[in-house]
Amino acid sequence: MALIELVQEKIVKTPLESKDKPDVLRELVQILRDAQEIDDFDAILTAVQDREDKQSTGLQDGIAVPHGKTTAVTRLKLAIGIAPQGIDFDSLDGVPSKLFFLLVAPPELAGPHVEALAEIAKLAQSKAFCKALANAENAQEVVELLKGD
Amino acid sequence: MSTPKKILVYIDGTEQSVTAAQYGICLSSFYDAELMALYVINTRAMEDLLRARIFLKDEQVEYEHDMESDAQRYLNYVDELARKKGVSVTTKSTRGSVHKEIVNTIKEDEVDLLVIGELSRIRSRRDEFYDEAERAMRTAPCSVLIVKDEDSVWEMYESLT
Repeated sequence: MALIELVQEKIVKTPLESKDKPDVLRELVQILRDAQEIDDFDAILTAVQDREDKQSTGLQDGIAVPHGKTTAVTRLKLAIGIAPQGIDFDSLDGVPSKLFFLLVAPPELAGPHVEALAEIAKLAQSKAFCKALANAENAQEVVELLKGD
Repeated sequence: MSTPKKILVYIDGTEQSVTAAQYGICLSSFYDAELMALYVINTRAMEDLLRARIFLKDEQVEYEHDMESDAQRYLNYVDELARKKGVSVTTKSTRGSVHKEIVNTIKEDEVDLLVIGELSRIRSRRDEFYDEAERAMRTAPCSVLIVKDEDSVWEMYESLT
């Protein structure tokens, strides 16, 4: 299962409206609900929040990868949110996060889940590309950048 | 040209890999070839996630445990699919980098045909996006069969006596 297969306009939102961490988590899960990718909003939000409670998934250079396991989904689900002004996400370097990749998966798809997260980790290493993503004007541009069209 | 003597199916928990297993079972029956099923616990990716600080140490341990359970569950399922059709399958679970483990198994077990599920239909030009099955296809030292069309494969599997 390649991460790229999950990327589509309906799971991308730019700009995000939230101003703080709790709101941005809700907004990211809401993207999945609006896209009719999930049914149980609360279960998914809880899974992601529980993971954030252990340690923030706000990495360096403005990237955050909130994720979680839950039986509320049967396949991998990805939502991408972009906040050009940055949102305080308790990141490791204290820099506000601009790129958010939310990934949730059922427990029995641990392998594909890990591989998808690893792909995001590799993507996060390219500062120039992340900057281009953060400056994308709309969801279509984000999808085109990710797919390399 | 000789027919395959030893077939390896790579299982990763996706529907595509289960379809590949059904195809492998059919081939094994048609050619009277040995059949192996391999699941790789991708510890390499988990180490990358720990290094990137996406994973916590206890999260890594938890996911590793989940993947061990997945390996057993999916390999048992393939074994069950094979037994229903009177085919014997050797199952194997290893840990490490997926494509390297597949190549190692091909060499160690003298596999002459690798069967994998359908690859992503979307091809990104970005190097960060790849799937492990695609890497295995490119690095395998033997012939590789990519299985498509799950409906017709299911029919072929079901018609196997």
